[in-house]
Amino acid sequence: MRSEGQHRGLLLRSFALLYVGLLILLPIFAVGVKTFSTSPARVLHELFTPVALASLRLTILTAFAMVAVNVVTGTATAWVLVRYRFPGRKVLDSLVDLPFAIPTVVTGIMLAALYGPRSVVGRVLGRYGIEMVYSRVGIVLALLFVTFPFVVRSVQPVLMAWEKEAEEAAQTLGASPFQVFAKVILPALRPSILTGAALSFSRALGEFGSIVVLAGNIPFKTQVAAVYVYGEMESSNLEGALGVSLALLLFSFLILLLLNLLQRWSHRYE
Amino acid sequence: MKKGLAFLLMGVMALAVVGCGKKAGSSQQEKTQAVITLGAYTVPKEAYQKEILPLFAKKWKALSGTEVSFRESYLASGAQSRAILSGFEADVAALSVPEDVARLEKNGLIQPGWNGAPRRGIVTRSVVVIVTRPGNPKGIKGWKDLTRADVEVLYPSPKTSGGAMWIVDAIYGAGLKMAEQETGKADPAYARKFLKDVQRRVKVMDKSGRASVTTFENGVGDVLLTYENEALLRQMEKKDFPFIVPDATMLIENPAAIVDKNVDRHSNREVVKAFLDFLWTPEAQRAYARYGFRPVDPEVEKEFASKFVVPSQLFDFNYFGGEEALSKLLYGEKGVWTQVLEELSHEE
Repeated sequence: MRSEGQHRGLLLRSFALLYVGLLILLPIFAVGVKTFSTSPARVLHELFTPVALASLRLTILTAFAMVAVNVVTGTATAWVLVRYRFPGRKVLDSLVDLPFAIPTVVTGIMLAALYGPRSVVGRVLGRYGIEMVYSRVGIVLALLFVTFPFVVRSVQPVLMAWEKEAEEAAQTLGASPFQVFAKVILPALRPSILTGAALSFSRALGEFGSIVVLAGNIPFKTQVAAVYVYGEMESSNLEGALGVSLALLLFSFLILLLLNLLQRWSHRYE
Repeated sequence: MKKGLAFLLMGVMALAVVGCGKKAGSSQQEKTQAVITLGAYTVPKEAYQKEILPLFAKKWKALSGTEVSFRESYLASGAQSRAILSGFEADVAALSVPEDVARLEKNGLIQPGWNGAPRRGIVTRSVVVIVTRPGNPKGIKGWKDLTRADVEVLYPSPKTSGGAMWIVDAIYGAGLKMAEQETGKADPAYARKFLKDVQRRVKVMDKSGRASVTTFENGVGDVLLTYENEALLRQMEKKDFPFIVPDATMLIENPAAIVDKNVDRHSNREVVKAFLDFLWTPEAQRAYARYGFRPVDPEVEKEFASKFVVPSQLFDFNYFGGEEALSKLLYGEKGVWTQVLEELSHEE
């Protein structure tokens, strides 16, 4: 009986490894091989052209701006969903995942329609000189939409499992509500907030569908890395596309590494 | 575990059944009727679907007594070219830019000679035009107005849309023509400055010509640079889509060719050759013209003379010393357009 169980475990494990290998690692490996089969020097040269660097810089800047907003709004949303009981809470809870279900191109078209210069919102904002779409603000807006679930969904379970005793103890000891939040709750939430932030950041690095519709795509101004890669592919500059792709891959990898460290840290905290 | 295995098996079986079904179906079809696979760019989709393909099917039936059916794919010109290159078995490539067909020739999919005289492989023409808002509230008269500080310009990105290169070519060429008029010679420095002044006014660069039209219709920009056929198609849909044909503008020439390698594999050369030749008949040329393309057939051109005014200073690739030279001059790593973009980034 026992040996059968071990046998089964081995089978399952090798299946999982094979699957991950074929689905995830093989394509990444292929990008590497492609780089070396073209010309690594040329790929590197393409990566350091001003227009490629500008697209990477913009991608990272907008991703950071998105993360800064997301950690606050995401944590607040999770807090509200866990701590308050109100009519429509269940609906709100299921709405959180909606951005994952909408094709990102549709997201782009939707936001462009809502904030574009023809719309009511766009016209009112335009009167005050605020441009929501076809600008860098538009990129952040698109990113905020498509990455919204990450922070909420990583903070929410931690808050749900949270024992209120520590909070009550702090209150009894005379801590103000702000002190309770800053000194007791926030430290416990920090690892999950950071996990959500890292996930949304790496998701933002590769976002294409919504941004290509919403950003304007002017090189050096509103062209993000993914759109740049697409453009170089379309104009048959494989090396240009590979250079920026590899840079994005490297960033994502670093973030994964960071995420792993964070998770270890959060386990230690528990 | 057992359950999982059963599911897996069921999935495999289902796939196998679907696969068999498809194979059986297609081999049966091939016996009773000819199939032509068309790999085209997106812009002439309506002309093909509503007129040219049905017209040919009818003609072929009358001629040979057998049915012909089409498998159609419409993608951006560059993407279509690359799709065919990486294995999409199109019998006919009808693309926007000659370069995209030349790529297939270079890789051995198309025999040299597809662009031989007298047709030169060119099946339709168009010109680059300036679209304005209804009533032309900004009073746009020609190229020079595109550099005004109160005018916002849209055109698709030449990086993602092969067709958009026609537009940047047109701006640069118009600059050269202006220099010719003002100083007597086609001064590249003048044209470069003009391209820069127009590019400075560009608000959005969409990934395709169609996407650019949509953005313009959503209210962005005062001026849209696009192809005449695209503007005429909008007018055909009864939309208020006024446009100006500038005196100096680029002649767009769209190629079509047989993809020899795929035709040999499908052994359907007879019907494919008939289809390609059909594209140059007055019948098909008239259909193209109705959908806004300038015909290449001289007789049909005369019939539609009032619809398509010939600009007085029309130019083509030869004005710049050939397609390859122009492509390098404008879009290479040190190309004029590339440099202009970089210079503009420092202005902020």
